[in-house]
Amino acid sequence: MGFLLALKMAIASIISNKWRTFLTMLGVIIGVAAVIAATGFAMGSTASITSSIEDLGSNTLTVTLFNKGTNRDLSYNEFIAFTEENSKYIEAVSPTVTGNATIKYEAESYENSQIIGTNAAYELVKNSHVQDGRYILDLDLEFRQKIAVIGTAVVNNLFDSKDQALGAYIKIDGTPFKVVGILDEKEGGQEGSSDDAILIPLTTAQRMFSSAKINNFTILVSDSELVDETVVVLETFLTEFYGTDDSYRVFNLAMILDTLSEVTDTLALILGGIAVISLLVGGIGIMNIMLVSVTERTREIGIRKAIGAKRSSIMTQFIIEAVVVTGLGGIIGIIIGILSIQLLISKFVPPVIDTMWVFVSFGFSLVIGLVFGIFPALKAANLNPIEALRSE
Amino acid sequence: MTALVEMKDLKKTYKMGETYVKALDGINLTIKKDEFVSIVGPSGSGKSTLMNMIGCLDALDEGTYFLEGTDVSELSSSKLALIRSKKIGFIFQGFNLLSKLTALENVEMPLIYQNYSHKNRKKKAIEALEKVGLGDRLHHKPTELSGGQQQRVAIARALVADPPIILADEPTGNLDSKSGKEIMDMLVDLHKQGNTIILITHDTYIANTARRKIVLKDGKITEDVEVS
Ligand SMILES: Nc1ncnc2c1ncn2[C@@H]1O[C@H](COP(=O)(O)OP(=O)(O)O)[C@@H](O)[C@H]1O
Ligand SMILES: [Mg+2]
Repeated sequence: MGFLLALKMAIASIISNKWRTFLTMLGVIIGVAAVIAATGFAMGSTASITSSIEDLGSNTLTVTLFNKGTNRDLSYNEFIAFTEENSKYIEAVSPTVTGNATIKYEAESYENSQIIGTNAAYELVKNSHVQDGRYILDLDLEFRQKIAVIGTAVVNNLFDSKDQALGAYIKIDGTPFKVVGILDEKEGGQEGSSDDAILIPLTTAQRMFSSAKINNFTILVSDSELVDETVVVLETFLTEFYGTDDSYRVFNLAMILDTLSEVTDTLALILGGIAVISLLVGGIGIMNIMLVSVTERTREIGIRKAIGAKRSSIMTQFIIEAVVVTGLGGIIGIIIGILSIQLLISKFVPPVIDTMWVFVSFGFSLVIGLVFGIFPALKAANLNPIEALRSE
Repeated sequence: MTALVEMKDLKKTYKMGETYVKALDGINLTIKKDEFVSIVGPSGSGKSTLMNMIGCLDALDEGTYFLEGTDVSELSSSKLALIRSKKIGFIFQGFNLLSKLTALENVEMPLIYQNYSHKNRKKKAIEALEKVGLGDRLHHKPTELSGGQQQRVAIARALVADPPIILADEPTGNLDSKSGKEIMDMLVDLHKQGNTIILITHDTYIANTARRKIVLKDGKITEDVEVS
């Protein structure tokens, strides 16, 4: 008996039992839909976290200095000298001194906690550019210029428009600063977000906050392949300088990415486990219904055998029926899974539909039908034709 | 010429709990091509068991059975299935049609298991249904047909693969006398067209339409006569 004919027979029998078949499929449908939706959610959230980290730059290192257990202080110039010696590893370095102050423009005033004193390399290191005007220059550091590059949230808070802001003088804790540039908008211009920052020259900030100490350096590594080596070079230098490794910390964004991908892998494993269990439960349901169906159709099987069906023909018929049921369940599950990603999950994370998971879950549902169809099919194939004909 | 059916000292015993029932107890039977044989006997005498033996649906316990010269007791279950589809056409008392299939699909079924092509299958099945006078009922389901029509579909199914033997077990048992007569006339006709027919019945009147009458009692042949 041909495969197509067996398929046709299976479909006919499924159609004649629509509701029962649907209920039988439900386990597989839910299992597959869950796999697609859950992996979509996991991958979508990973993608969004990864992309926001990559925005910061995956070959970025942060050095935090605590000055703990030492009385030596690392100055800006000393650190710059070190980075210039190691230009093979370090492409750019940007120090930051942060503080808060009251910002005023004419009658408007508010408290801002993100006054960042830095240098020209900040643009490259933080991947943060101006949309209008200019950036901080190293010359500004030399002359302790009172200029500011402001984020869009600051513009929104103090000014009517960007045109009005550019060239205006704002007062930072009473000192007038000329606005020379406006930063690209990153987080919708929300107050308190990274758009609420004010960049001023490092030296100006040191004087303003009356502290020469720099607590943070952000380093751009020349090549992502060299990140690990750069960490070693940095740690060697700092340990030697301070005489201890307690007074600093080198922080690696690539490490966060690694941790994140471990978390995602674990998540995928758990999801996979849940999916396998729900598909197995679905499979047992299918086996159960197929056994009922074999019992109900004992007479049919007897008739088929009497007029010449071989054991293998009966076997094929029932296995194909089981596989068609689970395969159909798999397809419906995939459709529901994709719809739930597009309509629901996409509201929270970027929608990701991984074709690999679509194929894996479809393949798995076919395998479930095959595995759980074998026992009922064997039972049908081994029926004694005379007893089968006598049944009912 | 080898006989179609040749049984020697064939025995079949069923176990019912603690007791054994000798359903067939030493059958010696030879049936040649083109015969029209009826097998009669009271209920429980072993008629259906004998038919199942001839039709290769059941395995014998003792003795020998040659079908067209082949020792059937030696064959595997898939060979037996092939023999059933090629050499035997069954007609049952209860019609035994598949209720979800149309008349045409029911008649096509034996050909499916012989791997006929779709086109040949349709053609032969339609011919067989036309032969039993149901050319206009091809797409009716069994429930949409009368008892007599259903049995005619079953006859078409038995004929469709041109088997050398047609086995009918009480084919008129579930029918009113008018439809029963129609079916008997059809079997007589089929015999005239050159089919070998083995008819099981407990009705002696019907048995007398055949050329040869075999009487069974307690699993033994007690009489084997030509009917005039
Ligand atoms: N599968 C079986 N299991 C047990 N006993 C059976 C079985 N088939 C037939 N018999 C017994 O064998 C005897 C012959 O049965 P059967 O061939 O059906 O007789 P008939 O068709 O002449 O009425 C009966 O006594 C019946 O009860
Ligand atoms: Mg009987």
